[in-house]
Amino acid sequence: MSTSIDFVVNGERQQLQVEPHETLVEVLRERLNLTGTKEGCGVGDCGTCIVLLDGQVVNSCLVLAVDINGREVTTIEGLVGADGLHPLQESFLNKGAFQCGFCTPAMIMSAKGLLDEDPAADEEEIKRALSGVLCRCGSYKKIVEAVKMAREMMRIPQ
Amino acid sequence: MSLHYIGKPVLRIDGLDKVTGRAAYTVDINLPGLLHGAVLRSPMAHARIRDIDVSQATHMPGVRAVITGHDVPYTFGGIIKDQPFLAAERIRYAGEPVVAIAAETELQAQNALCCVRVTYEELPAVFDPREALAANAPLLHPKLENYVRNKTYEIIPGTNVCTVRTYSFGDVERGFAEADEIIEDEYYIHAVAHTPMETHAAVAQYFAAKSEFTVWSSTDRPYRMAKEMADAFGVSTNQVRFISMYGGGGFGGKGSLVAEAIAACLARFTKGRPVRVVYSREEEITATQTRHATFFKLKTGVQRDGTFTAWKADIVVDNGAYASWGPDVAARGILTVFGPYRIPNLELLSRLVYTNKQIAGAYRGFGSTQATWACEAHMDVIAAKLGIDPFELRMKNAYVDGDCYINGQMMSRVGLKQTLTSAAQKIGWGQPKPAPNGSKVRGKGIGVTIKPTKTPTASYCFIRVNLDGTVSLLSGAPEIGAGEKTVLAQIAAETIGVPLSVISVPNPDTHYTPYDTAVASSRTTYHMGNAVRMAGLEVRQKILYLAAKALKTDAEKLNLLEGKILDASGSELITLQALLAKALGPMGGSILGEGYYSAEGSPLLASLPGLEGLSSIFWMFATHIAEVEVDVETGVVKVVKVVASHDVGRVINPVSCEQQIEGAVIMGLSNTLFEEFKMEKGRIVNGSLADYKIATIMDLPEIDSMMVESIHEEGPYGAKGVGEPAAAPTAPAIANAIYDAIGVRLNELPITPEKILAALRAKQSNG
Repeated sequence: MSTSIDFVVNGERQQLQVEPHETLVEVLRERLNLTGTKEGCGVGDCGTCIVLLDGQVVNSCLVLAVDINGREVTTIEGLVGADGLHPLQESFLNKGAFQCGFCTPAMIMSAKGLLDEDPAADEEEIKRALSGVLCRCGSYKKIVEAVKMAREMMRIPQ
Repeated sequence: MSLHYIGKPVLRIDGLDKVTGRAAYTVDINLPGLLHGAVLRSPMAHARIRDIDVSQATHMPGVRAVITGHDVPYTFGGIIKDQPFLAAERIRYAGEPVVAIAAETELQAQNALCCVRVTYEELPAVFDPREALAANAPLLHPKLENYVRNKTYEIIPGTNVCTVRTYSFGDVERGFAEADEIIEDEYYIHAVAHTPMETHAAVAQYFAAKSEFTVWSSTDRPYRMAKEMADAFGVSTNQVRFISMYGGGGFGGKGSLVAEAIAACLARFTKGRPVRVVYSREEEITATQTRHATFFKLKTGVQRDGTFTAWKADIVVDNGAYASWGPDVAARGILTVFGPYRIPNLELLSRLVYTNKQIAGAYRGFGSTQATWACEAHMDVIAAKLGIDPFELRMKNAYVDGDCYINGQMMSRVGLKQTLTSAAQKIGWGQPKPAPNGSKVRGKGIGVTIKPTKTPTASYCFIRVNLDGTVSLLSGAPEIGAGEKTVLAQIAAETIGVPLSVISVPNPDTHYTPYDTAVASSRTTYHMGNAVRMAGLEVRQKILYLAAKALKTDAEKLNLLEGKILDASGSELITLQALLAKALGPMGGSILGEGYYSAEGSPLLASLPGLEGLSSIFWMFATHIAEVEVDVETGVVKVVKVVASHDVGRVINPVSCEQQIEGAVIMGLSNTLFEEFKMEKGRIVNGSLADYKIATIMDLPEIDSMMVESIHEEGPYGAKGVGEPAAAPTAPAIANAIYDAIGVRLNELPITPEKILAALRAKQSNG
C-alpha cells in the first residue's frame, strides 16, 4: 500500500515510495539521512522535530509523509547558504545559545519561521514562537538573545 | 602573566556542529545491517514471573532475536550487582524490562512484542520508603547479602535497607542542652525525571569469535560503563569498546547502563548485526532513572543570637528497585544536609531504602540538591523563630577560610559570603516589598548550597601536536552539553601556547582515549583540566627543546606563544609549523604529551584521622535569591527573578558558566513548581511531556548569574566547578520567597497551586 511522493527538501527534488504510517521526521532521518532534525517524543510535545513545510513551522513527527507530496521542506541542513551560515546560526553560535545542542536545530527553524513572517517580532512574540520547543539544558535566556541578534542582522540591507 | 584564553568568552568549539545539525548523537547512528531493538516491560510493580511465552513473537515478520532473562543470566551495578539485564524470576518495578526483541524495523520489533505472553504472580508491593522500613514490609531483595558489592557501603540484610550511614561529631545531646531554642521539622523532596531531550539510546554490535562488544552511547562515563559491562559479562575491558557520541542531555541520568544494557544483550543474539535501541519518551520518563525522593527529619539547637549548638538529621532516601549509584548518594552526597555552616555538634542517620519504583540514580547534585532543600528551608524556619533576618542568619554561620567541614577538613578559598553579599546587593535584599498587585503578592527568599566533588578520582589525557602545528586533545571526557570540550581546549591552548583554533577534541573512544572517571560531580574542568595542563606543559617543553636545538640556543631563552617561537624580547623567530617541518623533516612525526590528575595524597584533604574519605579536593558554594509573585486567588507562583551567585574558582569561560547557571535555575524552577510523577499502583501514568510538564521558554524568569572567583590552590589556573551546585539552591529560594510573600511554609515538594491554596486556607482557619 505504498504511495509515491514527489517533493522538495532543501532545494533538491526527492521522489520516494512511502508507507501510509511513515512520518515526515522518519523520511527525513531514516530515508534521506537528514539527521539534524531530531525526534524527542514522536507525539508533538517536545518540538525537537520542527522543520519548515512550505515556510510554515511544523512538528515533522505529526506530518504524514503522504501529505508532503508536491510540497517544500526546509531543514537545518538547508540553512547554510553559499555565503556561509544563516544569521540565526551565526547568532546562536555567538550568543552561546545552546548546550547539548539536541533542540538547537528546532529552535533555529522555529525562529526562522517566525522571522521570515515577522522580521520585527518582539521579545514576547519570540518567546511565544519558540515555546513549542523544549530545552532541558535551559538555554532559553541566550536563545532569546540570539533570536534578537539575528533579527537585527537580518534587518541590515544586503 | 597575561592570559590569552583563560577567562575569555571564546565561542564553543562544538558550536558549528550544533548550529548546523551536523552534531551526531547516538540516535543518529546508522550502520550497515542495523537492527532495531524494543523492550517489553512489566505492567506490575512487584511480581513473580511464572511463564514467558515468546514462541509466536519469534516467528513474526522481520524478527531476528527474542531474548529473555534466561538468555542473559547476568547482573550489573556500579556499587551493588543487584540488577538483572532482563528480569527472569522477579519483577521489582513497573517498567522493568522482561523481553527484548531485535527486528529489521522498529515497527516490526514493536509488533512482535505484542505477541509475547508473560504470566505474572503479583506480590504485595511497597512504594513509600518509610513503610518499606517496617518489619513486615514486602522484601525486594531477600538475598541482599549475597550480591557482589562494594563493602564500604553498609547494608542491613533481611530488610529493604540498601545502605545505612551514621555519622556524628561532637556531642549532640550536650549541644541540645546548651540551646535556647530547639527547632524540629520535616521536609520532603520528590523524585523527578532527568528529561534529556535525547532519550536514552545505544547501539551495540557483538563479534562472537572474540567475545567483543562495541557500544555507541551518550553516557557521561564511557570507561566505567565499559568496565561495568565487562564485569557483568565476564570479559576484559578490552573486549568492551565504548564510543562516545555527543550527549543530548544527561544531568546524571546517563551515568548508568540503561539502553546500553538492552542493546548489548540483544547484540549477542543477532549474528554480528548491530542493534539500535532508542527509548520512547514514555520509557524515558517511566523506566530509566530518577532523582532520589528523600524524607528529612531535622532537629536543631540554636542560641538566641543565631549560634548553632547542635543539628541532628534523620534521612530516608527512596532508592526504587535497584541500587545504581544510590549508596553513594545516601552515604556521601546527602552529608551536606548540615549546610555550609559552623555546627559544633551534629549527628546523622541516613538510610537508603528499596521500594517497588523506578530506579533512582545520579541526578545533578548527587544528593546535595536534596540536602540543600531540607537545610535551607529549615534555615528560614530557624530565622523566623529567632526573629533574625534569613540573610543575617546565614552570614553569621557561613563557612569562611579556616573553618572545618564536618570531618575536620580545613576549608580554604571559601567564596560563600561573597556569593551571599553579591546576590543580596543585586536583588536589593531588605528593600521594602511592593504593594500587592490585586491578588498577586511578591516575596524574596534565599537558598545557599555547598557541594563537594567526589574525591579522589582520576583523569588522564594525551596531547598530540601534529606536523602542521595543529593539536589533538585526547581525553576520556565526553561532551554532554556542558561545554567540556571548549574549556579543555582553552586550557590546552593557554598552556601550550598555540591558538585555540588549532585544537581539536574528538569524542572519547575507550579504544584510544585514556581513562576518565566521568563527566560528573562537577569535576571535569578541575580534574581533566589539570591533566590537560600537565600534558600541555610536556609538549610545550618538548617543542621548546626542539626549537632550541634547531635555532642553536637555550630552551630557557625561548617562548611559545600563539603558535610562534619567540625570543626573550618577544620577537618571532620561527612559526611552530615551520619548526616542526624543519625538526621532524620529511619523515614526519608528532609531539606527544601525557597528563594525569588525581587529588589522592593532596595535603588539602587532611582531616580528622580516618575521615579523609569525606574530604573534597575543592568546595563549591552558591547563593540563589528568588523573587516570586504568588496569586493568592489561584495559588499560581510566578518566579519573577533569580539572582544566582556562584563561587566557581577561576572562571575559564564566562559564557559556559552562565550557560550552566542559567540552565540550572530553569531546571531548579521546573523541578520545584511543575514536575511530579503521578502513580497508580506503582505505575507512572503521566509518561508524556504533555502530562509530565517541564519549564518552557514562557517560564523564563529574569536571571542574573554572578561569579565569585576564589582561586583554588591546585585547580587548573585556579578553577573549581559549577555544574551541579547551580541546580540546588533554587528550590529553597523559591519556597522561602513564597513564605516571605504569603506567610505559608511548604515543606513538601513540588509546590503546586493546590498546596498553596490549601496552606492559605489552613492559615486562615488557624486565624
